[in-house]
Amino acid sequence: MTEQPDIEKLDDQIQLLKKAALALSEMGDQFPAVKKNTARVLASIKMMEINVSDVVRLTEPDITPPLQR
Amino acid sequence: MISEQRYWNPVLETLPREKLLALQLKKFKSIFGWAYENSRFHRSLYDKAGITPSDIREFKDIARVPKVEKSMMRCIQCKDPFPYGDCLCLPLEEVSNFRQTSGTTGQPVYQADSWQDWDWWSECWAFILWAQGYRPTDRVFIPFGYNIFVAFWAGHYAAEKIGCEVVPGGVLDTQARILKIQELKPTAMMGTPTYMLGMAETAKKLGIDPATFGIRRITCAGEPGASVPATKKRMEEAWNAKVFDHAGATEIGAWSYECLDQPGGIHVNEALFLVEIEDIETGAIIDEPGRRGKMVITALDRMAMPCVRFDSKDVIEWDANPCSCGRTFRLIKGGVLGRMDDITKVKGVLLSPVAIEEVVRSMEGLGNEYEVVVDKFGDSDTISLKVELLPGNENNIAQIEAQLKHQLRLKTNLGYTIGFYDLGKLPRYEVKARRFKDLRKGH
Repeated sequence: MTEQPDIEKLDDQIQLLKKAALALSEMGDQFPAVKKNTARVLASIKMMEINVSDVVRLTEPDITPPLQR
Repeated sequence: MISEQRYWNPVLETLPREKLLALQLKKFKSIFGWAYENSRFHRSLYDKAGITPSDIREFKDIARVPKVEKSMMRCIQCKDPFPYGDCLCLPLEEVSNFRQTSGTTGQPVYQADSWQDWDWWSECWAFILWAQGYRPTDRVFIPFGYNIFVAFWAGHYAAEKIGCEVVPGGVLDTQARILKIQELKPTAMMGTPTYMLGMAETAKKLGIDPATFGIRRITCAGEPGASVPATKKRMEEAWNAKVFDHAGATEIGAWSYECLDQPGGIHVNEALFLVEIEDIETGAIIDEPGRRGKMVITALDRMAMPCVRFDSKDVIEWDANPCSCGRTFRLIKGGVLGRMDDITKVKGVLLSPVAIEEVVRSMEGLGNEYEVVVDKFGDSDTISLKVELLPGNENNIAQIEAQLKHQLRLKTNLGYTIGFYDLGKLPRYEVKARRFKDLRKGH
């Protein structure tokens, strides 16, 4: 049996990435190249949340917000 | 090495069932709440039924949520905002992709996706392709007419996501595609069963044996063929490749996949979708294996135009056995068995055209193409089957006909008039075939 990944640690890194991407998105309001590329990064982060974070947060009241903006 | 990993997601694909169900319930509540809060169409539907997101506490509550039918979508799309109508949950400026259904069952439905949704589409397909053995070393040829239909678009992006080299075989005719395959030596390919068989036939006409191309795996979609054993066998022999099934739809997403173990069924991606099987007569939810019903499905993470309890009209049944691949996602036995719209009563007997395909393609001496015509003379239904005879079988017609009639009687409980045609005389199809014609409606 292969060892299961440590999803809590993975989720910690995903949340750090998300925090940075959301900050970038906010800073990019006057900078289309930053704003729009960050939107794509946030969509990818959402895919990682679907793959990892939603399972980590199974016992918490809400899963990750449905939409990244 | 990442390529040696069996699962795209080693956590979700092996999640214990109780956790998987808890995840589905939680995600259902979330998407139901999203649709309720953001789509005027959904809010109105749920208000009429007297149900709100706070009413969903346990799994059995989900069945109280009204289903959405395709016909409703067509009505909604007469309203603003153009062209999606009031089920759109995001401002129009956040829509990044337009697709539409093929219109096989009527007026096409328009589908909006945000960038996140589009990334989600390719994520669904990444589960499929990884499970079928696609790896970064693969060169994937996609002989598909990149257009307004979703078809293999997401397969293209998922192959890129995995790290494969993708060759878009877009605006080429079949012969040019075959020559491109011969030149580039791709290792994998995607297409409808009809087109995969048609391409092989064209290659042979050109004097090229497609079995020598080096294609190792083919992913099929759009028709049930890759789960019809006789059709799968013909494709695998023609291309000398493993052929895998997958089922998805524009309004739903890519919800299922056959894995490398080819268990005679397709896994539901239960981390991203909730599949319910509903008894066709009573509407009760079927949880036990072996009973056929129609699929009601929810895409748990699709945002711009949510798919919540969509009445897909696909006929399916649960498999009793777990898969040897180790995934905990349940199996649909034999793939999608047909659509409610295709299943029709002939001479008082329920007929699924897929059963005819299995018989025709398991017969030696017959080509891949066939056509079924149901008609009415007076008060009686008639059913005729047109098939193509492979060269060299001209002296065996009587024997083939007797065998064909016998097998059709066994598999469908009906008697047929058989018409034999020369190879190449019946219509060929590029994408989805229309081999079943019911002329009774015109009478």
